[in-house]
Amino acid sequence: MNINTTLIASMDISFPSELGYEIIVRDAVESFAHRHGFAPERLEDLRTSLCEACINAIEHGNQCVAHMRVDVRCQYDRKQFQIEIQDQGIRPFSPPERPYSIAEKLAGVGTLRGMGLQIIAHLTDESGFLENDERGNCFRMVFYCDLDRTSRY
Amino acid sequence: MSNDTSQNGPLEKVIELRLPSKLGYERVAMDTASSLAKRMGFQDDRIDSLKTAVSEAVTNAIEHGNQHDSAMKVVVLLTARDDELIVSVADQGRKPLSQNCTTKIPHLEEIMEQPDKGGWGIWLIRELMDEVEFTTAPSGGNQVRMVIHLER
Repeated sequence: MNINTTLIASMDISFPSELGYEIIVRDAVESFAHRHGFAPERLEDLRTSLCEACINAIEHGNQCVAHMRVDVRCQYDRKQFQIEIQDQGIRPFSPPERPYSIAEKLAGVGTLRGMGLQIIAHLTDESGFLENDERGNCFRMVFYCDLDRTSRY
Repeated sequence: MSNDTSQNGPLEKVIELRLPSKLGYERVAMDTASSLAKRMGFQDDRIDSLKTAVSEAVTNAIEHGNQHDSAMKVVVLLTARDDELIVSVADQGRKPLSQNCTTKIPHLEEIMEQPDKGGWGIWLIRELMDEVEFTTAPSGGNQVRMVIHLER
């Protein structure tokens, strides 16, 4: 199959590090994804994982310092939707030494906090922090497209 | 969304949206503005007015200011304040807006004679928003600043 991976569209959103703004960003990105034929059955996955990633950026990366910005870049190239969430990295991401699974956490082992990245991993096709980003933490998540669908553009 | 203050006064809560100049993206701006306005407590009819005004402003920026060049960006700034929402829409100014364009009141007979029946956008924006101002953007393009007041 010949897949055209040329970038079709991109959109950038920047917002203050304050809880609540992730909802507005979620609605903006959902609108962008919807316009490009994002599979409706996966929209909830997109909404949930984007909110989790933005909350992480606000709470952890930028430590809820309102004047620090979170930048979100959405890119669509027929093959996939890619979303990058960039914070200013007051607190660089460091993975826990002993990450408990969601099942373990629900069973009472460890705190109930800290499930965001695992939830995102379940809901996306690819996810993770980009390495060596000097601007702060940059979290990338990807949703593969259903190639039978055609974009509205 | 609290009302934090810094040493220099209240912090401006600004969302910046950068969109390609392609028709259809005005919808993304509408949905984003609508989401923010809803959370600020605007009534549904005011949100409808806001959406129409944002749509017209972004469509103008895409069609006229940026002449449908999809490589050019339309920048939408949404500033939430306690009692108002400020929306600024800027293009890259391939085609500057004439003063006449921003003040002219459309006449139905004249518009009906035009093939596209267009020309209502700026008039609509002025009718729907509480404050409207046309200026030049820092980038040199056209900029429209629209304010809608929050009545509680």
